[in-house]
Amino acid sequence: MVARIGTGLKYAVMLAYLVAVVYPLVWILYTSAKSTQEVYANPFGLPKLLTAPSRANAGPLIENYSNAWIKSQFSSYFVNSVKVVGISLGLILLFSAMAAYVLARFEFRGRGLISTLFLSGLIIPMQLILIPLFFQFSDMGEWLTSALSPLSQRVGLGGLTISFHDSHEGLILIYVAASLPFSVFVLTAFFRTLPEELREAALMDGASEAQVFRTVMMPIAKPGLVTVAIFNFLGLWNEYLFALVFLNNNQLKTLPLGLASVSMQAQYKTDFGLLFAGLVIVMLPTLIVYILLQERLTKGVTLGALKG
Amino acid sequence: MKSRPPIAFIAVFLAPAVILYGIFVLLPAANAFRYSLMRWDGLSDPVWVGFKNFESIFRSGDVFLGALYHNAYLMAVPGAITIALALFFAYTLHRGLVGGRLFRITFFFPNVISSVAISILWILIYSPTGAGLLNNILKSVFHYQHPIPFTQSSRLLTALPPMIVWSATGFYMVLFLAAMENIPETYYEAAKLDGASNSRLFFGITLPLMWDVLTTGVVYMVIGSLKMFDMIWIMENGRPSKDTHTIASLMYSKVFEEYNIGYGSAIAVFLFLLILLATRITFRFMRRERLEY
Repeated sequence: MVARIGTGLKYAVMLAYLVAVVYPLVWILYTSAKSTQEVYANPFGLPKLLTAPSRANAGPLIENYSNAWIKSQFSSYFVNSVKVVGISLGLILLFSAMAAYVLARFEFRGRGLISTLFLSGLIIPMQLILIPLFFQFSDMGEWLTSALSPLSQRVGLGGLTISFHDSHEGLILIYVAASLPFSVFVLTAFFRTLPEELREAALMDGASEAQVFRTVMMPIAKPGLVTVAIFNFLGLWNEYLFALVFLNNNQLKTLPLGLASVSMQAQYKTDFGLLFAGLVIVMLPTLIVYILLQERLTKGVTLGALKG
Repeated sequence: MKSRPPIAFIAVFLAPAVILYGIFVLLPAANAFRYSLMRWDGLSDPVWVGFKNFESIFRSGDVFLGALYHNAYLMAVPGAITIALALFFAYTLHRGLVGGRLFRITFFFPNVISSVAISILWILIYSPTGAGLLNNILKSVFHYQHPIPFTQSSRLLTALPPMIVWSATGFYMVLFLAAMENIPETYYEAAKLDGASNSRLFFGITLPLMWDVLTTGVVYMVIGSLKMFDMIWIMENGRPSKDTHTIASLMYSKVFEEYNIGYGSAIAVFLFLLILLATRITFRFMRRERLEY
């Protein structure tokens, strides 16, 4: 009897928490189909579009999403995020796999030092490098501009200035560099587990070291690469602090940054329809990635924590 | 077959990672220590001041100590609730439950949403306007007529813990669940033969055998709350007050609004030292952990 009450209580707590997690998300989703007046008049109820589906009642839905996607430029934030995160991920995977492969499979002087340096990066918080990077970007821009000025004048590009501030390229450089310790750490451990005979056999067949890496090692390393890609994707797709410091131009903003600035304006104008629609646009890709990859994500949860 | 290491190949393969990491992580990290010993507004020539910045941080009455207290509060209150809930959920799932997979997958989901989206979601939940979910519930269920502005500066530290618990519990649940699954079932069977109760099983077997992971979890929690920035920044519209600053948001304001770069860098260095300390405590546990793909 006591055991049965205990079981019932357990289910009650679990179900209550399930509702606490799911309901706000469902609420955001269906409220994004309401006009702001409808939100005020009927805060909990389903939108008219669902209770009485008609073309007229689809108006708020269409208006909210077109307001968000076009007028509030979520389309451009979205494209920027895809570009910045996509390029960063490509470079992170390539550079960290190259370095990790060498660190894991070859004996050479300085290997211990380089490994230790990468490992120490795991505990460097982003906040520590934020301020110096800001000034370093200014110095590097000036230095490169003046160093390249003879060349740029000769090719008819006089007055060419190079700036890392307010550019996707600058942000990508930081994202790639800051993601390397985690990625190199995970991939080094992975490459260590691969048998040495594979490389030797391929070398005997006349392959070069680079060919061994590309055609033998990379395909086998796929599970490790996927793990690294997932965690870096989530970290960078959601990144806010560095984007906030290094991107000012509205045309360049990534999704988290764009959502934050739209939210500040929308609250001021109390345009709630827009805000709900914007949230759905931001959360949907994450939800899709999560549904597809949740098994891998929860398996590698201890790794995700290291990413921090 | 033992060939000489192909030095050119090694150098070419290491170069991109080492150069990028050196220029954009190690160099700025070293510079942060240098900046923390200077007085500098970013334009005029910097002045060496030794440890003056650290002295002014810890001077009593300074806004920094208040911010550090907020970090400690945001670590202790939501932290304790999160860890307790996560342990309960993990243990319940571990002992078996109909629909366990559904609970596990759903509870973890908030962990992958961006902190910006979570903040705005909760701004809408807490909103004192007609759109606010919580105030509407208070009104229709409890007939409470005066909307409460939950997210105004003076109330924000009370409004944040539910958000943090909501977003973090799933992560710790999965972390703890993985540790519990590693405990051999035979231990439980033997204890059950001796007539041990369910709570005896938890406190006598589960908890002691996952102690390392629990400690690791606590350290993650400490580090996470030390870095806390996004939620405060968004909820305060980029203008945290001295009642809501965390050390990270204070660092941002001091550098990018007051141009007090030395002071901000001293905060960054202090933050790093705290994280280093927290990591040292747990490092021997982390090294023992097996990697899973």
